Amino acid sequence: MSIVTVQLGQCGNQIGFEVFDALFRDSHSSQGLCSKRENETYQASCKERFFREEENGVPVARAVLVDMEPKVINQTLSKAAQSGRWKYGQHACFCQRQGSGNNWAYGYAVHGPKHEESIMNLIQKEVEKCDSLSGFFIVMSMAGGTGSGLGAFITQKLQDQYSSSLKMNQIIWPYGTGEVIVQNYNSILTLSHLYRSSDALLIHENDAVHKICAKQMNIKQISFRDLNQVLAHQLGSVFQPTYCEDGSLHYRRNPLGDLMEHLVPHPEFKMLGIRNIPQMSENSLAYSTFTWAGLLKHLRQMLISSAKMEEGIDWQVQPPPSGLPPLGKVSVHKDLHFNTSIANLVILRGKDVQSADVEGFKDPALYTSWLEPVHAFSMWKTQRAFDKYEKSAALVSNSQLLVKPLDMIVGKAWNMFASKAYIHQYTKFGMEEEDFLDSFTLLEQVVASYGSLGP
Amino acid sequence: MPGAAGCTGRRRRRVEGAAKALPEAIAALSRSLPAGPSPEIFRRAKFDRPEAAPVLWQLLFRVLLPLEANTTLTDLAPETQARVVKSALSSQGYPRSALIQFSEGSSQGSRELLLALSWLLARGPLLEQLLSQTRVQLGDQLPQYEALARPDPPAPHVETESPVDLRLVEWLMGKLRFRWRRLISSQQEQCTLLSKIHLYTHGCHSQQSLGHLSVAETDMLRDPESSQQLLRTLESENRRLEAVLEWRRGELVFWQWMDTVLEACSLESPAVTSQPTVLPVISDRGLGELELVKQELHALQEELQEAAAPRRAAWETQVGGLGQGPEWSTTRKALREAVKQELGALQRSWEPCSSPDQPQRPHRLVRSEGESPRPKGLQAAEMIRTLSSQEACLKKVLHQLQSQCQQELARLAGSLPGLIWILAPGH
Repeated sequence: MSIVTVQLGQCGNQIGFEVFDALFRDSHSSQGLCSKRENETYQASCKERFFREEENGVPVARAVLVDMEPKVINQTLSKAAQSGRWKYGQHACFCQRQGSGNNWAYGYAVHGPKHEESIMNLIQKEVEKCDSLSGFFIVMSMAGGTGSGLGAFITQKLQDQYSSSLKMNQIIWPYGTGEVIVQNYNSILTLSHLYRSSDALLIHENDAVHKICAKQMNIKQISFRDLNQVLAHQLGSVFQPTYCEDGSLHYRRNPLGDLMEHLVPHPEFKMLGIRNIPQMSENSLAYSTFTWAGLLKHLRQMLISSAKMEEGIDWQVQPPPSGLPPLGKVSVHKDLHFNTSIANLVILRGKDVQSADVEGFKDPALYTSWLEPVHAFSMWKTQRAFDKYEKSAALVSNSQLLVKPLDMIVGKAWNMFASKAYIHQYTKFGMEEEDFLDSFTLLEQVVASYGSLGP
Repeated sequence: MPGAAGCTGRRRRRVEGAAKALPEAIAALSRSLPAGPSPEIFRRAKFDRPEAAPVLWQLLFRVLLPLEANTTLTDLAPETQARVVKSALSSQGYPRSALIQFSEGSSQGSRELLLALSWLLARGPLLEQLLSQTRVQLGDQLPQYEALARPDPPAPHVETESPVDLRLVEWLMGKLRFRWRRLISSQQEQCTLLSKIHLYTHGCHSQQSLGHLSVAETDMLRDPESSQQLLRTLESENRRLEAVLEWRRGELVFWQWMDTVLEACSLESPAVTSQPTVLPVISDRGLGELELVKQELHALQEELQEAAAPRRAAWETQVGGLGQGPEWSTTRKALREAVKQELGALQRSWEPCSSPDQPQRPHRLVRSEGESPRPKGLQAAEMIRTLSSQEACLKKVLHQLQSQCQQELARLAGSLPGLIWILAPGH
């Protein structure tokens, strides 16, 4: 079943390109460590999901590109066409002449309604070219102008028009020390609107991805391209084909649906984080070998300690002991760092994947009390290796990973709001203080819900 | 014996003919039933022989459960099967309580089982229902929305021992919703692919009126082995159909025989037949709730009357003698018409949205170009209209229920002053 991707704004379009490129490269790689027939099935499955055929045989990405200025879209289109291996549809993009000046309200209240019909028509055309639609990816930044405001608007319209299709927003969480002064306002408005109209919010933190580039990949001059490629790698490791659970060795048809059913059925808990391992430069890869036991042990600790990446994991954090706490001083400090999960999905790819032991993830101490591990934990796997990694593991987690960053943003935005700073930039385009208050209420509720998961 | 030899001979032939008619009828019945037992089993059951019981338990199990449930439950233990049979029978209103006494899966009660089978046969079109379950489909069918139109049985009231976390319930509800949406997506996919097959095989069908192939027919062309399989299935269905026809011709004899079985039963245990029929029991709580509802209805009615009376009086004084003259007649007629329509709409919205003209027989899905009116068959446009009106009806009911919920919430919120209610993010 197919996924239609809506790429919004500069951020969305640049990342979208890297994602399609990563998916294509991986599905056509010869280092899959599997038989030719297996590889062909893998390729076909990936292709059905993300690409479609056109007459001259070059696969076309199932995507719609939207931006308020033409520069980035043109760059994206030409980069894809240059490769000669895949491309975007000829009429799959929408752009205007002028930008929106990083103004969320302008994107939401002006651009949105004005261009709604054109954009939804483009999406409709792309949907009609799918034999079966599983759902949508909407790639956007949280704190920018066009991507955020327009993205929130478009997601709402998708909810109205395609209510039975699934929607996952790929959200780029800005740097903590970002340049845009109103980025916290934009963030809370985006998040609260998306929480109401989207099914799942898969969050990619710039800070985390930046650290991975610096520490794991050893990149000296980190460009946006590097960040985006790491992100694309993470997404690919989740959504490339995996076997069905029934052991029939068929690739599952609807990973988006399976993921959502496992991780985000509760309307209050929609925020997902991604972690994957290993993540390293090609040079280092040549000198490394991996075992499933080692990878899974590290991944589990990354989950428990809310680590962003493999390096610098805090091994002190442990699950709280079940039953009575021991007599004497109990370190409350430790408990505060322990990341309680609601549900986790682990995806394993590569050699000898049947021998991988995931019992460590089924420990009830990792999870909140009202959901048992048998319901909370699921695993996908395939022996076909991903990208250039002989063994790789990814984790999509619905847990307290994002509570602290969210709380920080809400706090900062509230401080600004308390003094009504910059509010006129929003109210002059039809937004009201009520909208801000509603957003704060919703997000405080989300923070509280996630906070109450603990033991 | 009196009478001439010829007369005796005729009578003997008649008696012989009659004697042959019963086994033939029973044999026909057995062939019409899915997994029908041998006629010998029927005979043994009349005499309450133990070897007939397990066979008849299995037959009743097969007959009482819908086919889809059957395929997953075939490996149930005989005791469980027997329990299912008993509960299915009693929910259909089976009057004889003797069957309940027999412990699950024992070899007793084959005569009672035979009586139960005959009761099922007598009361409804059992054979036709069973046949339609295994009907061979050559054409493509409309998707399974018909299953939704049937009123479903009331949900069982589950008492839980320990308190369940509300978040778990919400989690499970969310999973259900996702499954529902995925089902809809799969149905949409099925429609798209069906449409493609119909389009691509246009002109391939020998029957001009159909014009294109169905999925089953396309499969047959692609895979000759499956066409052999289909032929075998059709042949076996034919045999059952012929058996049913034969049964219909000769069933009178069977019923006369069943009378003797019933007599044999009542002779042996007269106490059984004098037992009262088992009625469904309304629990005390149910009765209490009924009382409450009745009182609430009374109160509502009084409230309505109290509210209506002063308003009517006020309106009367305001209007006075207006609207009586002849120049008002057209207005009055129009008003009456409008009120009638409003009342009709109100009434319709209160009645359960039953499925009106659902096609009784399954219809084959055919794609046709252009506007050529088809003499028989159901048009898609008509089907869409029916479904749309059903949808509108259900939406109205949903809105009513939602506004009731909102009123209830408002009432609850109002009853606790000083408490701030934060509603969950709206859907």
